[in-house]
Amino acid sequence: MSNDTSVLVLGWIGIYAPVALGAIGASIGCTTAGQAAIGAMMEVNSGYGRFVGLSALPSSMSIYGIVVMFILNRPVTPENSGGLFGIGLLSGLAFLMAAIYQGLCCASAISGSKAKPEIFGLSLAPAAIVEGFAVFAFVFALVAAGGIPK
Amino acid sequence: MKYVVLMASLPPLGSLFEAATPPISRLKLESRLGLLESSDRHTLEQIANLIAWPSQPLERTDAAFLVEAHRFLASNRNPTLRRLVTQRLDMRTVVAAFRRRRRGEAQPPDGEVWGFGEWVGLIERNWSAPTFKLDVIFPWVRQAHDLLEEDDLIGFEKLQFSVVWTMLNRLGAGHAFDFEALIIYLARWSLVSRWSCYKGETAVARFRELVDAGLANHRELFSGVAQ
Repeated sequence: MSNDTSVLVLGWIGIYAPVALGAIGASIGCTTAGQAAIGAMMEVNSGYGRFVGLSALPSSMSIYGIVVMFILNRPVTPENSGGLFGIGLLSGLAFLMAAIYQGLCCASAISGSKAKPEIFGLSLAPAAIVEGFAVFAFVFALVAAGGIPK
Repeated sequence: MKYVVLMASLPPLGSLFEAATPPISRLKLESRLGLLESSDRHTLEQIANLIAWPSQPLERTDAAFLVEAHRFLASNRNPTLRRLVTQRLDMRTVVAAFRRRRRGEAQPPDGEVWGFGEWVGLIERNWSAPTFKLDVIFPWVRQAHDLLEEDDLIGFEKLQFSVVWTMLNRLGAGHAFDFEALIIYLARWSLVSRWSCYKGETAVARFRELVDAGLANHRELFSGVAQ
C-alpha cells in the first residue's frame, strides 16, 4: 500500500470511528444498565418503566457519534486525512468510554433506587455528569472539525 | 454481565446490628444464585467452606482445614478473594489463640497444627503477652483482650462481627457488579443473618410461632377432647 493510500485510509477511519466506537460503547453501556434493570425488576413490584428508560441513557453516545460523522464526512484527501483521523478517533474513544462508564452509573442508580425510590432523581447525577463530559468531547469535536480542509 | 443482574436483584443489607431479619431470605438468595455458572458456584462453595465457621463439620481437623485453605489459595489468583479468605483466617487464628489461652493453655500448642498464616509464629513466641504483640497489626486485638478479661463474651462476639463487617466494606470498595461484589455481599448477608439469630427475644417469639404452626393441626390431640 502506498503512503498516500495509507493516509487516505486513516482519513476514512477517522470519519467512521465516532459512529463505530460510539455504537460499541452504547451497546456495552445499555447492556450493563439493562441487566441491572432486569435484576431490579426481580426485586421490586412497580416502577419498571423508569428502570428500563434509564438503562437506555448510554445510547446518546451513539447519536453523538453519528452527528460527528456527518460533520467530518467529506472527500478524503492527503491534506485533511490527518485531521479527520485525529478528531474522529479521539472523539469516538471519548464516546466509547463515556458510554461504558455511564452504563455503570445507570446500573448503580437503578440498583440504589430500587430500595430507596426517593433517591431516583438524585441517583441520576453521576450519569448526567458523565454525559456532560461526552458533550464536551462532542461540541469541541464539532468546533475542531471546522478547521479541517474540505 | 450476569453479576450485574444478580447484584441489582439483591436488596441492600443496611447496618449490621440493626436488622431484625436479613432483608432477603436464604431460600430466595439461593434461588437468585441459580444464575451463577458452575465454576462460580464451585468457587463460592470453596470460600464458604473456609469462612463459614458455624457450618464446619465437627470431624474436620485443623490440619485438614488448613490443607483445604492452602489448596484454595494455590488455585485462586483473584487478589480480593484471596485477601478475603486470608484476613478471615488470620482473625480466626487470633481468636483461636485467645480461646486456647482462656481455657488454661499456658503454652502454645506443641507439635500440632492449630493456626493459619504468617502470624502463627509471632503468636507462639508471645503466647504470654496479653495481645500476643499483635495490637499494632490488628488494632482490635487490644479490645478483644479487654472484653475477654471482663468475661464479656457477647461483646467479644460483637467485636468480631464489627471487625469482619469493616473488613468486608473495605474489600468491597471498587466492586459493585462483579463476582467479588457478590461474594462480599454473601459474606455480609451471612453476618446479618447470624446476628439476627442471636436475638433472644426474637428467637423465643420465632420458636413459639414455629411450635404454634407445627401444632396447629394437632391441637385436639392435647385438648382432652375424645376423638
